[in-house]
Amino acid sequence: MTRLRHLAVTSASGLLLATTAAFAQPAENTIVVGLSADITTFEPANISSRDNANIARHIFGTLYTISGDGEVSPDLAENLEISEDGLNYVYTLREGLTCHDGEALTAEDAAFSFNRAKDPANAFTGNTPGFVFSSIGFQSAEALDDRRVQITLGAKNPIAFGLLTEVYIHCKDSYEAMSLDQAAATPIGSGPYKLASWAKGSEVVLEKVGEPAKMEKIIWRIIPEASTRSAELIAGNVDIITNVAPDQIDAVNASGNAKVQAVQGTRRMYVGFNLSEEFAAMPGGDAIQNPDVRRALQYAVDVPTICKQLLNFECVRATGLVNPQNANQSLTPYPYDPDMAEKMLDEAGWPRAADGTRFTIRFQAGRGRYLNDQNVVLAIAQYLEDVGLKVEVDLMEWASVYVPLIRERNVGPLFFLGSGGALWSPLYDMTDLARVESGTNYTHWDDERWFSRWADIAAATTPEETRVIVDEMLQVFYDDGPWLHMYFQPDFYGVSERVDFVARPDEKVYLFETGLK
Amino acid sequence: MWTFIARRLLQSVIVIFGVTLISFVALQIGGDPTYLFVSERATEEEIAMVREALGFDKPLHIQYLTYVANVAQGEFGNSLSYRQPAMEIVLGALPATIELTIFALTFAIGMAIPFGVFAALYRGTPVDGGIMTMAMFGQSVPNFWLGIMMILFFGLYLRWFPISGHVPFLMPLLQGEVAQAFSNLPQTLYYLIMPGIAVGFYSLSRNARLVRSSMLEVLGQDYVRTARSKGLTERSVVVHHALRNAWLPVVTMVGLEFGFLLGGVVVIETVFSYPGIGRLVFNSINQRDIPVVQAAVIVLSLIFIALNLLVDLVYAKIDPRVKL
Repeated sequence: MTRLRHLAVTSASGLLLATTAAFAQPAENTIVVGLSADITTFEPANISSRDNANIARHIFGTLYTISGDGEVSPDLAENLEISEDGLNYVYTLREGLTCHDGEALTAEDAAFSFNRAKDPANAFTGNTPGFVFSSIGFQSAEALDDRRVQITLGAKNPIAFGLLTEVYIHCKDSYEAMSLDQAAATPIGSGPYKLASWAKGSEVVLEKVGEPAKMEKIIWRIIPEASTRSAELIAGNVDIITNVAPDQIDAVNASGNAKVQAVQGTRRMYVGFNLSEEFAAMPGGDAIQNPDVRRALQYAVDVPTICKQLLNFECVRATGLVNPQNANQSLTPYPYDPDMAEKMLDEAGWPRAADGTRFTIRFQAGRGRYLNDQNVVLAIAQYLEDVGLKVEVDLMEWASVYVPLIRERNVGPLFFLGSGGALWSPLYDMTDLARVESGTNYTHWDDERWFSRWADIAAATTPEETRVIVDEMLQVFYDDGPWLHMYFQPDFYGVSERVDFVARPDEKVYLFETGLK
Repeated sequence: MWTFIARRLLQSVIVIFGVTLISFVALQIGGDPTYLFVSERATEEEIAMVREALGFDKPLHIQYLTYVANVAQGEFGNSLSYRQPAMEIVLGALPATIELTIFALTFAIGMAIPFGVFAALYRGTPVDGGIMTMAMFGQSVPNFWLGIMMILFFGLYLRWFPISGHVPFLMPLLQGEVAQAFSNLPQTLYYLIMPGIAVGFYSLSRNARLVRSSMLEVLGQDYVRTARSKGLTERSVVVHHALRNAWLPVVTMVGLEFGFLLGGVVVIETVFSYPGIGRLVFNSINQRDIPVVQAAVIVLSLIFIALNLLVDLVYAKIDPRVKL
């Protein structure tokens, strides 16, 4: 009996201790972030998802960095010189840099970071080799001396200076000593935090090793379910959560412990018109070949209402494919005017038939990738039906069905998609349509008034000259472009009252300057 | 008996071959997975290079036969997302799921037996009605909904239990860190309460009904009447005579239930941010990480096969009428 009592007391004490630990608020020097997606690797050249990159950026420094408002500024480098022909970028590193294992970080290490990511033997497929290098035509990197590293491109590229900020820098000796498996699990970085522990599928703990960093420890918890993330925030167990579901915003705001910060993101949401010959032969595909029809449909959709009702966000409708601060400022968003849409469709030669239908068209979309995407697609379809289209909505599983169709540019005639954008250059956003045959020209649009101007941009010698050309291109896109303009997807961050975090529009969660209030 | 075991093990090879083939084909139906591993701005050459590096450039039957040949040599391939051995990743996530499943099973069976017995003993009374209503509720509600409701009520409102997370017990134990494992144990159990109940509630309900009907059948048998007429106490009649025989169908269910619960943790692991094999497989399917999915399918199939075998052996042991 005594033993039983002892066991009961021990168990009760254990559970009490466990209770205390489970409800312990984050420590004064610790910030806890709840992420929605799992982290798969810390191999700097294999990182591709935003959540993964958000953590990795605290571990790895970059030569330059981009602020929340799109300003490009030095990080590990203190200076950048670009050659006159635009092919060589020479960065001068700051003095006294080291990696987390104590090794001095020199220009040779920076060059190694680039060349290692490019090496086909490593078969890396992350953001650096898969996106940055292919976008800028990266050729090679070499150390000119201890502090100067030269990056060489195959051709002049006006957005290279921004994209190069995404390449993670690390030390040569440590990474040459590690296998690829080890590099994926035990990163040795150059940033202000080092990896302290990583429980796969559960949490990542970073500890401060340098500046800039206000908090001693950052804990990134993986909480895939949106309602669970919100509950953890309201309970005070986490300080910041990403991707708050629109229907939980009021609950978070009413909790008294946290508020939702809503920011208009840089991701451009649109309805694409597939203008390829193959799709022109499909029902409705012939109609949208006519720019007047495409323009008419711009008036048919009430975008602000979709934002307000389905995304819980007051948005301004996009005027094109460029983020607002870089857009052609003379353009105003198309208003919602169904009468105008009907009139223009009549004039374009697509009057309503006896059954009230002008033409039938298929509208394809993926499910579960973007904020409330299924309902947004259904709402758009309803608006189009209101002006006489018969819309056949085809919602598909995102990863295995829709993505392959998109990548093969084989989706439509109408399709719903989002494309990541940036604030630091309009050209970044515009390069989705750099060439008619670009992999990201899912619409097969081939308007010479747009595509011929890229040569003019390459030849432009001043930012002002470039700006004029950009504005002219954006005017063409606005008038006769291949997108039905929608909105920039809002991002919702739940933020505890105890931290001074300010959400950025570019989905980056950088906590270098975040501290307690 | 040994012939029986050998025959079952031989059959398991065919089963493993079958499930890997089905899962392989199912994952390939969606189209070329290469696109999930390249940037949207990648050129055709870059896509082709990645396709070759990932091995998706070969015909499907060659891909599968190569895979089978590698598996036969104990080589399960590298995860396409984690870039680490697929089997290592699966086995890393398995202990957490085993903890959850054992907890859920213990809860389900531990509660189902007394509930079923009481419902049978008090047949037609409010006790029986209450237990059967609860059982019907348990079989009707989806476990993810139950999980979310528990989070809101017990986690957020009452603050009795942690909302999400996991404290490992089996993993440190398997790594030889015995002291660490046992110091974790109270927290492990504490973190398991809500997800464990959410996972096990359906099984509890189903098994309570099963035990009830089994008990009702046994209680009407002649030998029970004889036991009573011998003047045995009701407790002795129920425990030593009735329950012992009513137990047989439950034993069969326990083995199958473990497999059922193992498969049922996927959604609950997501709801409670529980880092187990269910969530891993779910994510891997979304990311088309074929080596991880295949490795998980093999591991889970082996567990199912082993459990079925074990149930058969136990059944033969406790029921002398059964010959293997």
